[in-house]
Amino acid sequence: MSHKTTGNHKSERYPRFDTGQRIEHALLILSFTILSITGLPQKYPDTGWGEGMIRLMGGIELTRFIHHTAAIVLIVGSIYHLVGVGYRLVVKRVQMSMLPGWKDVVDVVQSLGYNFGLIKEPPKMGRYTFGEKVEYWAVVWGTVIMILTGFVLWNPIATTRMLPGELIPAAKAAHGGEALLAVLSIVTWHMYNVHVKNFNKSMFSGWLNRHEMEEEHPLELAAIESSPAKTVDPEVLRRRQRLYLPVAVIFSLVMLVSVYFFVTFEETAITTVPRQTVEVFSPAQ
Amino acid sequence: MTDLHGFPLRKSAASAVPAWRVLSVAVFCLIAFWLMLPTPTLAQSPSPDSPCVGCHGDNEHSLPLPSGELLPLDVDLDTLLASAHGSDAAAPVNCVDCHRNDTNYRYPHLPNPATTLEEYRTQVGESCQSCHTPLDQHNPGHLNAVDNPNLPGCVDCHGQGHSVTPAETLSADPVATCQSCHQTYDDPKVGEVHAELAANLGPDQTCQTCHTDKPVYPADMSCRNCHLLLDSSLELASGEEVPLHVDPATITDSVHGSSMVENSYSPLSCTSCHRDEERYAFPHAPLTVDDARGLTLEMDDLCQECHTDIAALEHDGVHEAARERGELAAASCADCHGSHNIQPPNEPRERISDTCGQCHSTINEQYAGSVHGAALLGEQNPDVPVCTDCHGVHNIAPPQTAQFRVESPNLCASCHADETLMAKYDISTAVFDTYVADFHGTTVALFEKQTPWQETNKAVCYDCHGVHNILPANDEHSQVIKDNLVVTCQQCHPDANANFPASWTSHFEPSPEHNPLVYYINLFYQILIPVVVGGFALLIGSDVYRRTGDSLRSRRAAKPRKEEGEE
Repeated sequence: MSHKTTGNHKSERYPRFDTGQRIEHALLILSFTILSITGLPQKYPDTGWGEGMIRLMGGIELTRFIHHTAAIVLIVGSIYHLVGVGYRLVVKRVQMSMLPGWKDVVDVVQSLGYNFGLIKEPPKMGRYTFGEKVEYWAVVWGTVIMILTGFVLWNPIATTRMLPGELIPAAKAAHGGEALLAVLSIVTWHMYNVHVKNFNKSMFSGWLNRHEMEEEHPLELAAIESSPAKTVDPEVLRRRQRLYLPVAVIFSLVMLVSVYFFVTFEETAITTVPRQTVEVFSPAQ
Repeated sequence: MTDLHGFPLRKSAASAVPAWRVLSVAVFCLIAFWLMLPTPTLAQSPSPDSPCVGCHGDNEHSLPLPSGELLPLDVDLDTLLASAHGSDAAAPVNCVDCHRNDTNYRYPHLPNPATTLEEYRTQVGESCQSCHTPLDQHNPGHLNAVDNPNLPGCVDCHGQGHSVTPAETLSADPVATCQSCHQTYDDPKVGEVHAELAANLGPDQTCQTCHTDKPVYPADMSCRNCHLLLDSSLELASGEEVPLHVDPATITDSVHGSSMVENSYSPLSCTSCHRDEERYAFPHAPLTVDDARGLTLEMDDLCQECHTDIAALEHDGVHEAARERGELAAASCADCHGSHNIQPPNEPRERISDTCGQCHSTINEQYAGSVHGAALLGEQNPDVPVCTDCHGVHNIAPPQTAQFRVESPNLCASCHADETLMAKYDISTAVFDTYVADFHGTTVALFEKQTPWQETNKAVCYDCHGVHNILPANDEHSQVIKDNLVVTCQQCHPDANANFPASWTSHFEPSPEHNPLVYYINLFYQILIPVVVGGFALLIGSDVYRRTGDSLRSRRAAKPRKEEGEE
């Protein structure tokens, strides 16, 4: 928590994302953008823009190298996210407010109804609106698909040791399809909701003001104002931290070692096709 | 009184005889002289030659000429009698028929105007031409050579000293007739050549076959005549021998010799190519090269004088580059096209692979066993590629460069993506697009567009299908048939196992039958993406609609309030 404002009714600032989460988001912006810029031209290399972008990035091999590097950043960021989620759930025991529920479905329908003037009041939503949950789970789903199919494409020979060969072109199809879906979702849903509709700066500043809370998270605001902040006994917190730390370290190490294997697992092809020297001059006898 | 020849003898003018007597005696004498004249027409016998023969039949004297030469006065009567002009011959000729200049030959003979024996013979020869005309029919070279001081006259060939040889005798061995004078040559090389030519002359050939004054192409005919007859060889410094024999028929039957090539240059003569006069005039200048290869390469320049466009292409080709590196065996013009017997290089089409096969026999054998080569050689198939279709002709690019490699799929596609052509053989034209859609092809196509000079290790068509030994994809020995594919993959992916080849879509567009997993994943995203993005668009659109409406309403609500306030 970057701002000690919880429970202060007069304060305009309602904490939303801590520093770690904001760094994580910055890493995601960086890696996602680079992956999109280097990846989409690879999906459409026969178009003028695709070919031109690859040319600008120094050719297909360099484009692939940049793509792979950004992928490592994304994967490391994902590991960090898992550790962070674990800390919040296990140590801090926060509410699993990101889990989707029936209410989200109702919220979608009511939103539409309100927008078209069928309902007088817009639905009231909690800490995470249905739009934010869609984004979050889309990122989770997408990242899992991209990492798995990316592994297959990065290590096709290792994959086919155990799995059928058709998985390679299938992984390529899924990687490209999922990428297109992700990019289109970002430029529509994400862009509209946090940049066009209202410029939501909480991912950079860490907080929302009261007006924003009333507008977008009235239920969370009500909860904050109705009951005092739940504080954990410091002794209990320390005990949990002592338990979580080694687990988190081991998990992180295992994951990072896996990433290392991921990227160095195999050398798909020999670096260059060996030149066969053929004597072409063989006069007919 | 007259002299032996009937001329009146001079008398002193101082006589006292009356004029009428003198006149009557003179008339009598003239009549008597006229009756005595030895005219051939009147003389039945003896021969009108008798007076000549009487003196010259047995005469040991000689007449000294101003040149100091002696003109023998004796005539061998037996020789004359046995000659074509003898009195027993079919057409006897009398002394005065030839020695017919009255002024000179009437006795006593006046001094002969000839100052040398040669002049004397020429003089006599002129008499021959009074009966034997026209002489240019059989003595052209000599009569035209007006400036030649050694110009032979009739008698030089037909005999001196009255042994007149009949034309039939001379024409029975015409070469020997010429050789009676032409025995030595200033240039020993010319002598050698002529000795060989004389020995090799055909039944209808004489010296005048070459030495004629009515040539169509003077130099050309000389070249052809000589080199047809020559069958010796020229020994080079290297010890190699260059045959001198050239059959003119090979040239007249060639593209250069016949009018089958429709241009203003054909037909060509020998000197059209061998045009350097200093070098090719006879006797030819000595060679400047030491070996046969050098000679062949030197002749490239001759072709390039006319074929400048091809020479410019050839300059960019591998063969010329190899020669510049010192690999002199690399093909030059004549190695592929021949020298004199140049024929259209692509007729029939098999000729092309034969030509390349002269030097590239191993590759040609592989090609002959390939699907392309077998169709060409076995069925004269006009559709399959021959060497030059892939490699080009004169500006042949080195096939081992990165550039050739990354451009090679286009080469294959030029036929294999041609629907009309492939329909004849029921071959899919999707091969190129499916290749480019795959990882290897995508990469190679980008390299080809962006950095064709850079090496890439991604497979091109011939890495899997083979180069010259390409077999049909359903042949049991094909590198790309399923049973053999893993070995082919392992060329580049040594760790690949039996599952790996299935990662290649085998040039099939994904469909429920081929690569169904890919097909259904594509289908899944084709549905999912519009649905998701459409859903977002709906929510965003409705939100924009609501907010626009709200903002319009609040502005409308604000406006009247403002107006009221103003009032």
